[in-house]
This record gives sequence, structure tokens and C-alpha cells, in this order.
Amino acid sequence: MQKNLTAGKGEKQTNPVLFFLLFIAVLAFVAVIINILTGGVFLESKNVQAILSAAIYPSFIAWGLCFLQACGYTDLSIGGVVVLSSFAACAFGNMFGYPGLILGGVITGTVLIFINFNIFAFAKIPSWIASISLAMIYEAISVFMRANKTFRPHVDVELDHSLRAIGQFPINLVVLAIGFVIVYLLYNRTSIGQNIVAVGGNKNVAKSLGVNVTKTLLLVGLICGVLIGVASVLQEIFVAKTAAMAGLTSIQMVFKPLAIALLAQIIQRWINIIIAVPFCSLIIYGVFNAMAFFGIPSGTLQDVLLCVFLLAFGMVGQRGVKGVVK
Amino acid sequence: MSGNILEIRGLDKHFGPTYANQHIDFTLKKGEIRGLIGENGSGKSTLISQIAGMNIPDSGEMLVDGEAYSPKTPKDANDRKISMVLQELGVIGNLNAGANIFLGRMDRFKKFGLVSIKACNQAALDEFEKWDLPAPPLNKLTGSMMIESRKLIELVRALAIEPDVLLLDEITQSLSLNNRERLYKIINRLKDAGKSVIVMTHDVEEMIKITDSITVLRDGAVVGEVRSANTTPDEIKSMMVGRTVSGEYYRTDHVADFDEEVVLSVKDLNVSGELEDISFDVHGGEILGFCGLSDSGIHDVAKAVFGLSKITSGTIHLNTRNIDILSPTHALKNHVGYVPKDRDNEALMITSSVRENMTMPSMTELSRVGFISPASMNNLATEMVEKLSVKCEDIFQPVNALSGGNKQKINLGRWLAKDLDLLILDCPTRGVDVGVKAYIYQLMKEAKKEKIATILVSDELTEVLGMSDRLMVMKDGKITKIIRRDEDFTENAVIGVMI
Amino acid sequence: MKKKSRITLYDLIPFIAFLAIFLVFTFLSYKPGKGFLMLRPANLYTIVEQTMQVILVASGTIFVVAQGGIDLSVGVNLALSGVIGTWASVTTGIPWLLIPVTLSVGLVVGIINGIIVGKFKVSSFMVTLAMMIGIRGLVNFIQAKILAQRLDNAFQALMNSTPVKIGMFIVVVAIMCYVFEFTKVGRYSRAIGENETTAKSIGIPVVKMKIIAFALSGLLAGVGSIVSLVTIGSTSQQMGVFFEMRVAMGIFLGGVLVTGGSSAKFYKILLGSFSIQIIVNGLALIGKSDSYISQSVQGILLLLILVISALSANKRTKLRKTPADALPAEGGNAPEDKETSE
Repeated sequence: MQKNLTAGKGEKQTNPVLFFLLFIAVLAFVAVIINILTGGVFLESKNVQAILSAAIYPSFIAWGLCFLQACGYTDLSIGGVVVLSSFAACAFGNMFGYPGLILGGVITGTVLIFINFNIFAFAKIPSWIASISLAMIYEAISVFMRANKTFRPHVDVELDHSLRAIGQFPINLVVLAIGFVIVYLLYNRTSIGQNIVAVGGNKNVAKSLGVNVTKTLLLVGLICGVLIGVASVLQEIFVAKTAAMAGLTSIQMVFKPLAIALLAQIIQRWINIIIAVPFCSLIIYGVFNAMAFFGIPSGTLQDVLLCVFLLAFGMVGQRGVKGVVK
Repeated sequence: MSGNILEIRGLDKHFGPTYANQHIDFTLKKGEIRGLIGENGSGKSTLISQIAGMNIPDSGEMLVDGEAYSPKTPKDANDRKISMVLQELGVIGNLNAGANIFLGRMDRFKKFGLVSIKACNQAALDEFEKWDLPAPPLNKLTGSMMIESRKLIELVRALAIEPDVLLLDEITQSLSLNNRERLYKIINRLKDAGKSVIVMTHDVEEMIKITDSITVLRDGAVVGEVRSANTTPDEIKSMMVGRTVSGEYYRTDHVADFDEEVVLSVKDLNVSGELEDISFDVHGGEILGFCGLSDSGIHDVAKAVFGLSKITSGTIHLNTRNIDILSPTHALKNHVGYVPKDRDNEALMITSSVRENMTMPSMTELSRVGFISPASMNNLATEMVEKLSVKCEDIFQPVNALSGGNKQKINLGRWLAKDLDLLILDCPTRGVDVGVKAYIYQLMKEAKKEKIATILVSDELTEVLGMSDRLMVMKDGKITKIIRRDEDFTENAVIGVMI
Repeated sequence: MKKKSRITLYDLIPFIAFLAIFLVFTFLSYKPGKGFLMLRPANLYTIVEQTMQVILVASGTIFVVAQGGIDLSVGVNLALSGVIGTWASVTTGIPWLLIPVTLSVGLVVGIINGIIVGKFKVSSFMVTLAMMIGIRGLVNFIQAKILAQRLDNAFQALMNSTPVKIGMFIVVVAIMCYVFEFTKVGRYSRAIGENETTAKSIGIPVVKMKIIAFALSGLLAGVGSIVSLVTIGSTSQQMGVFFEMRVAMGIFLGGVLVTGGSSAKFYKILLGSFSIQIIVNGLALIGKSDSYISQSVQGILLLLILVISALSANKRTKLRKTPADALPAEGGNAPEDKETSE
């Protein structure tokens, strides 16, 4: 019984560095095994490159989701936002070069996410369903733009080749690294970041300690928006022409980042969540890449596996949670 | 220039017509260690919460070092050098110790706008060392730490502000012996430096040991202030509970009157963290009272008997149906009723109608081959509403439009509508006016006549003394004493083992 | 005790909306020389036929929504159960085997959902969302191997005949309405939506109810699958796509709150499902059948209705600060307030 505490019992020490090294070691080990099983193809440099490149843009989205978790929101319209932001990135990129590309994508993403955020905060309905409605609206807008005479020439084209340089390996890794440093510092080393984490952990205590909760929440919206915007720019560079979606297929775009964010959340007890995200991204994309080698094509059983992952992460994450969950 | 650091004059706080704090005058000198003690409902938590900035007084004034003091948040209190370790607060689980301690005051660790984690952790370590407290691992998230560690972090957080007044709310019970000694040393250090401390604890002996003087609250008002050196635990305890038992609405007999037949038999019940080796019997027509402080486990007993708790070991056997109660559904099926203490959040569906609430426990009884006719629901609801004189516009009115007393009538009535063997009542007259109180006691007496076994859990000592045939006194999750109505059935017999 | 009229303006909004939508689109569908296209018998019949599917499945999903949850997997469940059912009936050569197999698959999926939500406490939208991907993946996988299959012609002709279809619809809906409004399952589900803690403290078997609700939702998805199959005559790649949203909108547009509870009433399914179908149909009639217009209208409408319902419910149930109710928690525990995720 907690009342009968023995004297002088200390807390278990954690050694994050050690755990991290262990984590990397396990990953490397598994990768080698898969490599053997695929006859050496898995770890071929071209394949590794593909995995790394695929894992970059979802990392940014997953980071955005980490900040969103702080407010207890789930935003399923992120896919739609990415599509629209990619359009903007493409249009402005072709018109104005790099500045247009980056600013167009980032600003659009920020504005849209910020709108979402305000709706979540003030509409008194659960964020997941509000975001589904928003996804429908954003998708509709993207289809409209593709079809409409005025917008079409700008958005139904490929991104100029000269702009796609930063999407090439290994420059895209540099982008990831820069993003990582900024997000890490923001989350862990600024007052803003700590306030966000505090509000996400225990809103009442944070408020009592003097944290301005409203201001903090709005900042979360902004930061998340910027991250999604960056992800959209990267996405646009990668694919050159983002497809417009309808029928809520844009929600599919959020699933893998969601799995990444959930997994990172589970292991954040041992590894800082911001560090965890890119590695979880590698894990997820590595696994799916490997599955392709084992003859499991994407779109079918890979999705079944994704579903299993999400459910498993969800169940583990909810272990020991008391109270009501709808 | 007065030597008073904190002055409170005429502080009033109501919650509805109930006075939580009635015209409280309270003065704290610089360098004084004051104990604040009172039963549940005495108003001590309300008083502390207002000093800490968690609640705003209705009237009265507070002064800190001679200047007006009206904090709207704990941060305001901190700015005036008043810091606290309160039960309702706690740590932020996904931050480490250093961040918890210095949240909102990180500027001094900043270089180029970025917080140096190293500097923050070092400062945290320094604070722990300064107060001679064991520091936890600094890179661990506080959410995964033990309660004691978390409490120490809260303490350091309060101390790091260099307070003139430190409020400690029930901290000692979470600390091990070693750390308790350290805490006492800290309190004395503060005193020597001319700082003041307000200590709240249930342990009367401890309070006498470590404080200079003690303020006793009862029923929302200050009933006395004594110097610790000159008082005894008994004196304090009698000040806490001493009152004339006025209720004519309680039972007037002094007979422990109940059947031989045992309805419920609880043996060696253990619920991890809550109850230890609880055993008792309840007889037909008996009102078995449970009294104790709020954390004594009395409310946990009520929950456990209805099957709502995870049992580590032991049995809860309902003899009339010859089954062990394993879950609430089980209890419901077997003629057991439970009136929870938290009326609005646990007992009623407040946005639903009177009818829904009144008939929900009776769904099985109302169903004919699976069909539950709205007419039968209406009839049952109307019958109970009339029988209990529930004041509502009609049975379709949402329950949250009713007064507390009428809501409680529904809380109780929905169970009385059934054919019960055992009725569990947790604070049945809480937040209810005198007229309804008397009526509820009347209902209890009627249930007794019908040979229903009643478990009565209550914070109000007079109530359990007034109504019970036998009384179980609990402390720290264990039963410490059992007394019968026909024996020495007074407050004095009880409070010694309760507090 | 006389019942005071408790019908408020907010209760009427879904009715008013339905009428308004119907009138607006009828009016807009006027073509000179042809009259009101909306009111043509063939058109009305199409609307009814489309709506029937939604109402059927929604009559199961309403139990989940009443409890405060959601089932986003009904669309893919419809597809999976239909594909497997058709395969079974074609492979064995026994046409009527379609029915039990389809229903069983739907039921099993529902039960799995119920167990993960009820026992493992993962939020319902997460679980059913994950299922949405996973099961669609499974369906794609199967269809890549099997390709579209046709039902037995005679069987289809029999099942698709008006009396059978309408008859089955009425019977199923009547049964579900009965269960929802007049049995313990319905009452308990609403109680869980109102306040799950209270429901538990009364002795309502919450986990069991959750499993039952999802099971019903899955079972009725199977029923919807059968109806879909006999109408079209074969499986297809498009089975169940976006269907879960139509069901959700059918429920919410009728005025049911996301939190369910007492706001969940069976008639609202009918209102909402017809409303959404009239919109989709009406937009097509006036030549605006482009997917983006239809979808954006639906998206905006859903958001509006949800916000309005939530705000009006909030207003209605503003707790009156009754006297001694607002007692402070004496000696509470230090809560590690984990905000329940949605």
C-alpha cells in the first residue's frame, strides 16, 4: 500500500544514451537479418536511399502531430492540407523559383492548419470528426482547382525541374537534419516548447504555474502548420505533381505519419519523442519496403499490416489508462 | 510595523447557501509555524485554496506584509512569495524534475533564447542539495516516478521560489520516515530565517510536534487557536468534532436492532492501495455505519462492495442470493443498490430526464420478454416522483434543472424502487437542505423496517452516530474499531481511533 | 403528471432542414417543359433505393453513436463481407449461402472492433479508422486474386424484386427500431453515451454493451452488403467506398450529437439519410454533379450541423449552479490529469 513506504527507496535510474545505442543496435540487427533474407537486396545503397528518402517527408508530418498531441487533437485533414499546400508550392515555385516554392507551401500550410486549429478549439465537437469535414472541403477545393480554367494551368503542371534539386539524395537528408535541429531545439530547449509540453501533460497545473494556455495553444497551431507546410514542399519536390484527391482518400496520407507518431509516443519514456520520430519513420518505411521484397505489394496486404500496427500501438499506448475513452 | 506576514479578516466563501468559510479571521506571524486542522467539510481546504489563489473569496480581505492581497491564480500567490504544495496540483508528468521546478521561470537559464538543460538540471540539483533532500534522476520524466519523488519535486518547486509563506497540504503522508525528518528540518530552517509555514496534516501528534500553534476549524469557522506546547491530541480532537447532536431527525432509540440473518459477509478484503484486510457482516434490518477521514477507505468500501473495485484478495459474499459479488452488473442483478457520493458525475445522468434516471436501475424488472414499454417506465417514474415528492415540472424534465435535494431524492429513489436486499449509501445527505435530510433519514428508517441491510458511509460523524446500529471506524484503509449503538456510542469513543 | 411540451426549436431544426433542402432542390430542378425533375417517380424511386442502404446500416451504427463512439469501418466491412459472401456462393454453387456468410463476416468484424474498443480502451474512431485501411487492403488483395463475381441470376432476380426488397427493409428496420427504442440494449447504450461512469456505477455491463453495439453495426453492414449486391448484381471495386461517411452523415444530419446519449433517437436516422441523399441527388439534377461540389457541400453541411447541434446542446444543458451542489472536493487526490484523447 502506498502509505507504507519503506524508507529511502530511490528512483530507478534511466540512461537515455545507453537505451538509444541499444535501440540503434537492434534496428541494425533486424536490418541485417532482412538483408540476408532478401539476398542482399535490402541494404543495397539504392534501396537504402529509397527508404531514407521516403521517410523524410512523413517525419515532418509526424513532428507536427507530436505538437498536436499536446492539445489532444487529431487532425485527419492533414492530407488535404498537404495537397493544397503542394499546389501552392508548385504554382508559386514555377512562377518565382525557390522563394515561391518554399514560401508558397509553408504559408498555405500554416494558414490552413491554423484555421483547423481554431475550429477544433472553438467548435466544441471532437477534432477527429471536425477534421473529416475539413478534409472533405479541402479535397473538394483541390479537385475544383484541378478542373477550373483559371487555376488549372498553375496547379495541373509539374514542378520545374530546376527546383527539384533539394529533393535529391543526399540533399534531402540535409533538409531533414536542419528540420530536426530546429524542431528539437524548439520542443526541448525553448520556453514555448516546454509550455506546450506542460499544457499537453496537465493543463490545470500548467495554468496554475502561470503558463498562458490560450497563447500556447495558438502557438501549437502555428508550429504545426509550418511543419506541415514544409512537408508539403518536400512532397511536391518529390513527386513533382501532387494528385488531387476525393472521397476522403486524402486521409490515407495521414496514416503512416500517425503510426509513426503513435510509436514515438510509446517509446518517449526512453527516447525523446523528437529524436524518436525520424527513427520510427525509418522503421515503418523500412518494414514496408522489406515487405515489397517478400512479395507483398503495396495497397493490399501492406495496408493490413499498417492496420495491425496502428491497433497494436493503440492498445499498448492505452495500457493502464483509467477513465472513459470514446 | 506588524510582525504579521499574513492577515485574513472576515473571509467568507459560499458554495450556494452553504458556508464553506464563515467569517474567518486568521493571522500568521513572521517566523511562525502554524498547523491548520479540521474534519472533512470543516473548510480548511477552502481556506488554503483561497490563500493559494485557487479560489476567490466572496468577501473579506487578505493582507500580505501589510499590503492588500487578492490572488487570481497560484502564480499571483507566487509573485507575492507565497508558495504551496497542494493535493489538487501535482507535477507535470511529461517533463523532468528540473523543468517542473522552474517552469515559467526559465529565463535565467537562457543563452541566445535557448534554455540550457544542463544549467536547469544543475540548478535543480543545487536546490535539492540546499534543502538536503534526495534528488531524483534528472533526465527521467516525472510521470513515471513514485508518489514520494513527485511530492519532493513539488516541495522543491515551492521552496525554489524562496517563499515568505509556505503552504503544505497533506504532504507528510506521502513521505518515508527519512524524508519526513528532512522536511521537519526544512520547516525549522524556514522558521529560523523568519519565514512562515502553514502545515495541514491528519496526524495530530505530528502536528503538535512540529508547529508553534494550531488553528482548528469546524463547520466553516475557526473554533479555536492553541499553542502547540500547551495542548494535547485529545484537546485538539475534541475541538475538531465537539458539537451538540441536535438532530431530532436521527433515531431516538439506543438499541442495536437487527436480525440474526447475515445478508452480506465480507472477509479479508484487500484492494491494493485502498483497503487492507477488511472483514465485516451486515445483517437484515441493520444500518451499518462507516466513518473515518476522507482517505480512510470508507468510500472505497462502498465501491468495493458494489463490485466496482479490483480486488487483490478476499470475498464479498451476498448470503441471501448465495453469490460472491464480482462486478457491478452482478450486484445489480442480485438486489444490491449503490448510491454514490459524487451525485452529478457518478450517480446521475444529468442531461437526461427524471424518468431515465429514475428507471435505469430497473430495466430488467420493467422488461417483459425483452420489451420495455415507455408506459411502464412512465408509471414507475411517476410513482417514485410522487412518493418522494420530487419537485420537478414533469418526469421528462432534465435532471440538471433540479435542486440538489431533489436530485438526491432521485439518486436514492431509483434504488428504492427496486426490491433490495442490500443498500449501499455513500454520503446520502451531502449537499442537501435540512428538510430533505430529515426525509432521507425517514426513508432509511423505513428500509430498516423492511429488513433491508444498509451500509451507511458518511463524512459526517453525527450522521453515522445518529443512524447506525453498529459503527465501523476506519483509518488508513483498515478497520480500527467497531462499536454498537447500545454501548458507548459517542464521538469521543470514535475520534481517538479515527484521526 | 401531465407532460409539458418539451419540443424545442432545436429539436425541430433537422425537420426544418430536411424540408428546406427538399423544397430548395425541387425548386431548382425545374426544367421548362419537363416540370420538376425531382418529383418524377423514377427519381424519387432512386432516392428511396439509395437511402434504403444507408438507413439499413445506420440502424446498426446508431447503437455505437448512442454510446458516444463511431464506426468508420462499415463501408469496408460492407465490401469485405460482400466479396467473401459472393465468393462462397459462387464457389459452392449455392446462391443463398451468400446470406449467412455475408452476415457472419460482417458480424465478426464488428465483434473484433467491439473488443478492441471495449476491452482495450482504444478510441473507437482510431480503431475503426485503422480497420478502414486494413480491411480495404484485404479487400483489394482478395479482388486482385478473384476479380469481380456475379451473383446467380435467378437468385438476384428474386432478391431484387420490389416486394422482397421492400419487405426485407421494413422488417429489418422495424426490428432495429424496436431493439433501439424498447429494449435494454438501446436504453443502456444511451446511458453509456450520457455518462459512462454513471452507467458503470449503476451496474450496466459497459464492455458487453460496447461489443454488442459494434457487433450490430457490423451485422447491419452485412445486410447492407446483401442489398447492394442484389441491386447491382455483382461485386465491384467501388463497393462501400465513402459509404461510412454517408452513414455517419445520415446519423448526424438527423440531429444526433457526437456524444450520443439521449440525443440518439431512431427517427433521426430516417431524417438525416433522406436529407443527404436528396442533396446528392438534387445536385446531380441541376447539373452540378461534379464530385467536388457535392463533396464540399456535404463537408460544409456536416461541419455546420455538428457545430450547431453541439452549441445548442451546450446551451440547453448549462448546469444551473444549484445550492449545495457546488461543494469543493475536500481532500482530493493529486490528479495526473491525462486529457482523454478523442
